[in-house]
Amino acid sequence: MNGISKSMIRRSLFIMFFFVVIGLGGMIARLLFLQVFGGDEYAAKAIRQQTLDTEIAAKSGTIYDRNYVKLAESSPVQTVILSPADITDDEMRKEIASGLSEILEIDYDEVYKKTLKNSKYERIKRKVDVTTVEKVRKFIKESKVKGINFEEDTKRYYPYGSLASQIIGFRGSDNQGLFGIEKVYDKFLTGTNGKLITAKNAAGNELPIQYETYVEAQDGQDVVLTIDNNVQQYLSKHLEIARGDNKATSAAGIVMNVKTAEILAMCIKPDFDLNDPYTITDETLSEQLSKYTGEELKTKTSETQNSLWRNMLVSDTYEPGSTFKIITASMGLEEGLVTPESTGFNCGGSITVADTRIGCWKHEGHGAQTFREAIQNSCNPSFIRLGQMIGNKTFLKYVNAFGLRSKTGIDMLGEASGLFHTEENFNEVELATSSFGQTFKVTPIEMLTAACAVANGGDLMTPHVVKQITETDEDGNIKVVKNIAPTKVRQVISEETSRTMCDLLESVVKNGSGKNAYVKGYHVAGKTGTSEKIDSKNEEGEVDKYIASFIGFAPASDPQIAILIMINEPSAGEYFGGLIAAPVAGDVLSDVLPYLGIQPEYSEEELASIDVTVPNTLGMTSEKAIAALKDAGFDYRLIGGEGTIETQSPAGGSQIPQGGVVSLYTNGRTPSSDCTVPDLTDLTISSAKEALEEQGLNIKLTGNTNAGSIVFSQEPKAGSQLTGGSVVTVKLKSYSNVAD
Amino acid sequence: MAFGRKKTKQKTDASTAPVRKKNGRGGIDMPFLILVLCLLGFGLVMVCSASYVSAYYNHGDSFYFIKRQAIWAVAGIAAMFFFAFFDYRWFRKKVHLILIVAFILVIIVLIPHVGITVNGARRWLGAGPIRFQPSEVAKFAVIVFLASYISTNYGKMKKFREGLMPALAVLAAFVGLVAVETHFSGAILIFGVGVTMLFVGGTSIKTMLGFAGVGAGGIGIFVFFTDYATRRLEAWLHPEADPQSKGFQILQSLYAISSGGLLGLGLGQSRQKHLYIPEPQNDYIFSIVCEELGFIGALVVILLFALLIWRGFTIAFRAKDKFSSMLTVGIISHVALQTILNIGVVSQVFPSTGIGLPFFSYGGTALLVLMAEMGIVLSVSRNNALEGEGE
Repeated sequence: MNGISKSMIRRSLFIMFFFVVIGLGGMIARLLFLQVFGGDEYAAKAIRQQTLDTEIAAKSGTIYDRNYVKLAESSPVQTVILSPADITDDEMRKEIASGLSEILEIDYDEVYKKTLKNSKYERIKRKVDVTTVEKVRKFIKESKVKGINFEEDTKRYYPYGSLASQIIGFRGSDNQGLFGIEKVYDKFLTGTNGKLITAKNAAGNELPIQYETYVEAQDGQDVVLTIDNNVQQYLSKHLEIARGDNKATSAAGIVMNVKTAEILAMCIKPDFDLNDPYTITDETLSEQLSKYTGEELKTKTSETQNSLWRNMLVSDTYEPGSTFKIITASMGLEEGLVTPESTGFNCGGSITVADTRIGCWKHEGHGAQTFREAIQNSCNPSFIRLGQMIGNKTFLKYVNAFGLRSKTGIDMLGEASGLFHTEENFNEVELATSSFGQTFKVTPIEMLTAACAVANGGDLMTPHVVKQITETDEDGNIKVVKNIAPTKVRQVISEETSRTMCDLLESVVKNGSGKNAYVKGYHVAGKTGTSEKIDSKNEEGEVDKYIASFIGFAPASDPQIAILIMINEPSAGEYFGGLIAAPVAGDVLSDVLPYLGIQPEYSEEELASIDVTVPNTLGMTSEKAIAALKDAGFDYRLIGGEGTIETQSPAGGSQIPQGGVVSLYTNGRTPSSDCTVPDLTDLTISSAKEALEEQGLNIKLTGNTNAGSIVFSQEPKAGSQLTGGSVVTVKLKSYSNVAD
Repeated sequence: MAFGRKKTKQKTDASTAPVRKKNGRGGIDMPFLILVLCLLGFGLVMVCSASYVSAYYNHGDSFYFIKRQAIWAVAGIAAMFFFAFFDYRWFRKKVHLILIVAFILVIIVLIPHVGITVNGARRWLGAGPIRFQPSEVAKFAVIVFLASYISTNYGKMKKFREGLMPALAVLAAFVGLVAVETHFSGAILIFGVGVTMLFVGGTSIKTMLGFAGVGAGGIGIFVFFTDYATRRLEAWLHPEADPQSKGFQILQSLYAISSGGLLGLGLGQSRQKHLYIPEPQNDYIFSIVCEELGFIGALVVILLFALLIWRGFTIAFRAKDKFSSMLTVGIISHVALQTILNIGVVSQVFPSTGIGLPFFSYGGTALLVLMAEMGIVLSVSRNNALEGEGE
């Protein structure tokens, strides 16, 4: 009876099936779930812990000016990273903390604190340049510390610093575009980051190469601006001076291609250094900020930074004032209501519209005028008349047609749209004030774009700052990916009206309120404007802040370049656009027009007063030298008697007006600083010339060199000692009938 | 070839009266032997693959573990053949001696400075490189005791007081003592093997349900009263809550298993063995199998175990006497339970217990004991083939 029973076999069979089917079968089911049908999450987590992802930052694209001058470019830098989990002993922690804090110039405690964390990724310092990285690598090698890694990154560099800073904009610490072109064209400029994936063991060390995956970073595309670096520099230079001269809160300007609406330059002063956008460099602003402390300082600083970064030419609106008369006049001409020679524009100093008395800037009135004279005089009652002739409906139609109630569509950040009266609110008084550009607001870019339509034959174009998207191949060749063509929105006025307007506006600069925008040899057309900042009233409830502006184009016969100059809140006394904005436009155009290769056409009068190049007479006999000077139309002074010319003043190559005196030195005589520069302020051209001649000095005239102008600045200053024959540069402007 | 021949012979064994073999060796169950050697070989390959990284890191020699395991495997094979030709009935005669020795060992391991503590549990005895767990001996002692007891008292097993009580008392004593060592896995295994044997040995179904209750209650008390078990349970249920310490092992194991997918990363290609899974050659070796050989490889391993269990039980069915049968059932149940528990632990079906996978996990004495047990099963198979008293 010791044999096994049937029951035992049955029960053993049961157990066997239990083990195999329930036990092992259950395990198979579980594994099937983990390995075949599920478990992706675990597998993904496994990969995450087993791999070391090193991000390779893509290089952001370059921003070029229209001639491929680099305005912004990226260079490689590294981020220093610590993996504290890999550091086991405290000795090493201290060594790392002291080593890194010394090389990277950061706080020891901060680094030490990071070494204590139980993580694999602690950022120590970003944007570390190549040489410093080398130092860190050397430190790692020499001290044999563990856990310090690097990640590739890029740093943005702006070779021209503050130039066009509000237009170009800048990038954040993660290379993301924050402002300006950097933001608007971010999707082109920013590439796709790459990755280096290496396998690592639990100790953080790399495993054999077979696991390594390298995903190449895709560098960003390049952006070519319509901006011309040189035009931008000219505009920037003259605006900087104008802001200083007029103690203005800001000075801004746009130079635009009339036909294509490409922005050649766009500048706002004060600006900031793109390489250090958070630092306020402007003296006036930092002085204002120095009054604050603590929290208030923080808020004010951030407010100031934001206002500096803001492109107010696109994002802010202003009352265009008399520059808007360009638009009103175009409406009248296009509708056939007036011709330049139309009469009946009588100004008694004011006009009453619906019981509201609206004054002209000239209180005593302009008297009887033709339409041409009315625009030259910037006469408000005349334009109110014209507005009444046009009528509310038509006026509004043109405001819309000129795009003043909609965004221009410029490829810039945060464009605002003009705020014009709505149809319901556009009554008699509003029509009257709108006729001369008050009681409504437009953005500067809208205003200039509309003016371009007036000048270019009637086409409203879409302004733009980017010309091309390009790529650079390995050989450094630039390949165009995308061309941005000029876009016409609509034709607003006829070519004929446009031609008439150019003629009228040329006369404004020739004889009217815009005469200080005069550029010798070029026919500049334009309109001045002085608008009250009605939003800001002083304690007595009076408007005491103004925007002086000028809109112009040149050459008047076939406009190429349009320019807008705005002087915001001038506080040095003068505030009329004709007095302070027009001269800036003239200065900018006198640099820009020749630079762009637009040939001057001098009138006979201008030819007579044109500057001539002084011949170089060094080494000549006095006889020959005198002949050469006479040939060139200069006078001479010979010091030291006959002989070989050893020194001459002004030097050969200088530009001075014809009939200037050149001092020649012979026989060992040298010029001595014996001429004192007189104070020329407020002198007429002839008196200034005389005063300088008396001192044996030469004059160089700039600004509005027409007769009737007077000197408002000079270089060098009065009282300076100069050698005989030296050149004193004077800046001239006219004060007669320019009060708008 | 040998396999086929033996198979037909065994078929005749099962259907007709036993046929006398020419000699003892011929009676060894070849399928079982082949399965054991397959598992052993597979296990060695996996120990080599799983251990070489940590061996290099911790001992500076990639082959540190495999060399030792190979030596133990050779010793194990020797032990297996020794016991295959050893008359296992000797154990029945010495059952009391075995029980007493096991009892003493299980008690002295609890004495501080005598028992060696590893990972917080004092469960080892030995000197120098030779170390063993008294619970291994206890397991074997319980198997021998129950086989012997049941074969003697088979008729009384349904009765609680006369039949079951003495067996239960011995079982409970060992389970309790091993549990006190905080050798949770050992206690569970002894309990499981004991209950299985009592079930096959004729205990009534009602009583079995009672055991299930006791088992569940025991585990409950264990979990409730010991930090050790609570912590493990917590780590089992919510490994993500503390992925860096408590949940680390199980998470790393799941990562490895899931990474393997259907076909695996390839032999030797495990990434998780690169210091992620602690001691990958030990309890968690099966997750490396899963990672490197995929579901297919894991399935092959499980099927090998299934075949071993099937073959083991076949030998038990054919045993000539109850003792041989019960002894085989005990040994095979032990292997089966340990396998299921191990795979269950690495795949998060059960909480972590610290149980190795038979034939695979690194550990010399455990392998040696296991191989000896396999030898005993072979010895039973050999005895089955001998002419002797029928049923």
